[in-house]
Amino acid sequence: MKNKKIKIVGIVFLLFISKIIFAQKIVRYDLYVRDTIVNFGDKPKRAIAVNGQIPMPTLTFTEGEIAEIYVHNELKESTSLHWHGLMLPNKEDGVPYLTQMPIEPNTTHKYVFPIIQHGTHWYHSHSGLQEQIGMYGSFVMLKKPSDPTFRKGIDDLPSVPIVLSEWTDVNPNNVHRMLHNATDWFAVQKGTTQSYAEAIQQGYFKTKVANEWKRMNAMDVSDVYYNKFLINGKNESQLYQFKAGDKVRLRISNGGASTYFWLNYAGGKITVVANDGNDVAPVEVDRLIVAVSETYDVIVTIPANKTAYELLVTSEDRTKSASLYIGEGIKQIIEPLPKLKYFEGMKMMNDMMKMNGNLNDMGMSMSYNQMDMNVVMYPEITGVAKKVSDKMGNMKMTEDDYTSNKLSEIITLNYSMLKSPTKTTLPKEVPIRELKFELSGNMNRYVWSLDNKVVSETDKILIKKGENVRITIYNGSMMRHPMHLHGHDFRIINGQGEYAPLKNIIDIMPMETDVLEFNANAEGDWFFHCHILYHMMAGMGRVFTYENQEANPLISNPKSAQRKLFAEDRKFHFMAENDFATNGNDGMAMISSTRWSIGTEWRLGYNAMHGYETETHIGRYIGKMQWFMPFVGFDWRYRKIHEDAIEKSFFGQESTKDIRSVFSAGFEYTLPMLIKAQAEVFTNSNFRLQLERMDIPVAKRIRIDLMWNTDKEYMAGLRYIISRNFSFKTHYDSDMGLGLGVNLNY
Amino acid sequence: MNKSIIKIVVVITVMLSFIACNAQIKNAITETVKIYGNCGMCKKTIENAGNSKEIAKIDWNVDTKIATLTYDGKKTNKDAVLKRIALSGYDSDTFLAPDSAYSKLPTCCQYDRVAKVAVETKSKTEIILENQGKHANHLETTTVKIQKENQLKAVFDTYFEVKNALVKTDGQTVSAKATALLLAINAVKMDKLTAGEHAIWMNVLKNLNADAAYIAATKDVKNQRDHFDTLSNNIYELIKVSKQETPTYYQFCPMANDGKGANWLSKENAVKNPYYGAMMLSCGKTVEIIN
Repeated sequence: MKNKKIKIVGIVFLLFISKIIFAQKIVRYDLYVRDTIVNFGDKPKRAIAVNGQIPMPTLTFTEGEIAEIYVHNELKESTSLHWHGLMLPNKEDGVPYLTQMPIEPNTTHKYVFPIIQHGTHWYHSHSGLQEQIGMYGSFVMLKKPSDPTFRKGIDDLPSVPIVLSEWTDVNPNNVHRMLHNATDWFAVQKGTTQSYAEAIQQGYFKTKVANEWKRMNAMDVSDVYYNKFLINGKNESQLYQFKAGDKVRLRISNGGASTYFWLNYAGGKITVVANDGNDVAPVEVDRLIVAVSETYDVIVTIPANKTAYELLVTSEDRTKSASLYIGEGIKQIIEPLPKLKYFEGMKMMNDMMKMNGNLNDMGMSMSYNQMDMNVVMYPEITGVAKKVSDKMGNMKMTEDDYTSNKLSEIITLNYSMLKSPTKTTLPKEVPIRELKFELSGNMNRYVWSLDNKVVSETDKILIKKGENVRITIYNGSMMRHPMHLHGHDFRIINGQGEYAPLKNIIDIMPMETDVLEFNANAEGDWFFHCHILYHMMAGMGRVFTYENQEANPLISNPKSAQRKLFAEDRKFHFMAENDFATNGNDGMAMISSTRWSIGTEWRLGYNAMHGYETETHIGRYIGKMQWFMPFVGFDWRYRKIHEDAIEKSFFGQESTKDIRSVFSAGFEYTLPMLIKAQAEVFTNSNFRLQLERMDIPVAKRIRIDLMWNTDKEYMAGLRYIISRNFSFKTHYDSDMGLGLGVNLNY
Repeated sequence: MNKSIIKIVVVITVMLSFIACNAQIKNAITETVKIYGNCGMCKKTIENAGNSKEIAKIDWNVDTKIATLTYDGKKTNKDAVLKRIALSGYDSDTFLAPDSAYSKLPTCCQYDRVAKVAVETKSKTEIILENQGKHANHLETTTVKIQKENQLKAVFDTYFEVKNALVKTDGQTVSAKATALLLAINAVKMDKLTAGEHAIWMNVLKNLNADAAYIAATKDVKNQRDHFDTLSNNIYELIKVSKQETPTYYQFCPMANDGKGANWLSKENAVKNPYYGAMMLSCGKTVEIIN
């Protein structure tokens, strides 16, 4: 009798289990990754499409299902897909050389993972710069209707997945290289050169001088010029299916590689209901900025019949925008965001920048985007630009420099306004691991790092399963950074107490200190990095790993995989230029990496009197700001010198030989006003001191170069920029005289 | 003399023909489209907004309101041109101008916006939702409580108005609101205050009056701000002992008052600094929430 009972219980139990197994519906997607040509910009360019479309198809699941995604790589290069914001087994996370080996051409990779959360997320390639050319798409996980957190009036609204992105006609590898070589071509295209002429015109001459005195190049809120901004792959489109009174939930992901987007809506307030896939208590705002790789769920209402209301998506630099018209009928548009007042921003930056390159927050404890120093540049907040009288030395800002404006009632979302509808407290009575990072960077050389170390210069950070990890991040760089953690949601300590919101990206503005914490509950190697694609490729990140975790079965050779991972930020970038002038050829070529620079300069005359000369330097950049670079070098020169024209240097040293071939050692140091001072000792015991200032931005497209050294050589040049690789140039050189020609650069 | 005149005429003719050549639009497509407007002044604005060198040309007829649109079909399209015109304040049958752009037009140009569909005061869906009691849960049904008349309410309300005007650096309004504050202070019936309120009231009354009077007397925002600091501190003392329906946020900016820092009170948690105006609008933080 007793046995029978047990049997019945057993059978019931088995049935129950099988029911649970059956309830886990498998949802399969097949993704075919192919090369394609697109016309997003001004000319046809290569892109990558998945199942023939950009953005990649929206993948939709319901919590509790199992995702089975087959990736068929039909490219000529390897690829990978990362499921952004998802909590999943580490080997499904999609970071090549870290959680899996890359998906090689003409192979298929299967990702399988259970869907254990809900919310708006997205997915993208984590290989190279593929994300820039089309590999991004929406990833939506719906709540079960029986979910206790199901919110009537929100979770049952019609919803539209939306991916924001940008397009550049320049090959992203070239963009990456140009950024590392401090190109100002993007600034020329954007009209943000902030040259001396513009500064004088607008009454900011002293601001500009102070800026260069503090060794800063023109400041900007974005690095790259984009030809087009896209909403679901289109610059303008319309959702005809909605009519007056409808509420629409937009599931917005920022799939841009480096662009922050402002959202403004012509039909009234925007209600934010979720962020990074996690519900937040609804908050009404006039506008919000979506950081790179963040997601926001917002609800908008259509106020009137037969009218479509514009959702205006503007890049942070306000160069261009994209529009989505929601509703049927005539399009009600909204005023575009006015152009930034760059010189006000420059002035603000001057005030914040100390002479040693560190930032000074002037005693304001800044956090969670609550204080946007950039408001000084927003005409809709601080009034339209007017010519100001420049007051140097008067560091304290006074309101006379600004006009008050009636639009200051605009409510802009910040992180402190986000509150989770449910408690998000971490397990108590577990050890707490405190970590601190400073975001560091150097715009001039495009080096981005944490604590002045890039990924390849650091070990993985070991954490223990079960402990709470609390990370304090201070942004000591001049750019904002959206920091993203793989595989975990973290809560941000934003003053909401037990209801702190959960996120997986946190945008940190310059000088801000933010605190986030999470429970270490998922073993694996998890990337923690800046999601601006070009910053990540420069090495701005770390890897978290769990103590004593099982090896990843997909990585058969961890050592070689790590080398491949590190190769990304160890890459050398090449640049070269040559001036084809009437008096000779002048040029240089350089390869450089995070810390090293190998460069050679040449001056080739057309006759022996003018001479032929090359100088090669191999140097290493020291310090966070990289102003100091010791180097060793080699000089070679041939020049026919007349007997009666023996040259004497400033120090009385003679240079008598026609042929000189010497080694050297020395250092280069960047002085205020961006003057490069170079001290060099040669093996023939000559000593040379040289001062050089290149690319003084005189006007939008005009640059001046100046050089002088103790060998009594000097040079002055004037360059007019025609296009990315081409300028007209005239210069006077003490050796070769006056020359006129064209300058080609790569 | 004659010769030089002829020369000038020739030069001008050549130049004009150059301009005419330049104005040639390639791949030209011509369309007619209705654009709403009033007068000759509108014509100028519409055409300036729509014209684009060598790409698009507009000719708008004041009487018929019909524009002839010529554009380079390879470089632009009708919608792009009409959008530019809408941004300058003029509706067409495709785009409605932003209200802000329309209201910036000179009065004579503010045409009847027949293309615009009026917003229904209450949309159908909303009514249905309300009937079902399913109104989106963020708009909690506010229960209107009838409270005993609070003697100090008018004082606080006018204080917030003074603060808001300071946020906008609008000295004129600040002065006007401060006058209202003075009236409110004098209208308080002391015998109706609670014991706690009364004690504080007696303490701060003199200073409140002095600061409010000072602020009312000047239109110089800088001087107003100097006194707003102490005014805020006294109001803070008062609001702490007084019952409020909604929370008040006590906020602090470390930079104000020459780096000594200064406080103020606000009805909203978001920081809008009254000491700097637009320049440092969001400097500061909430240091206390008074319920």
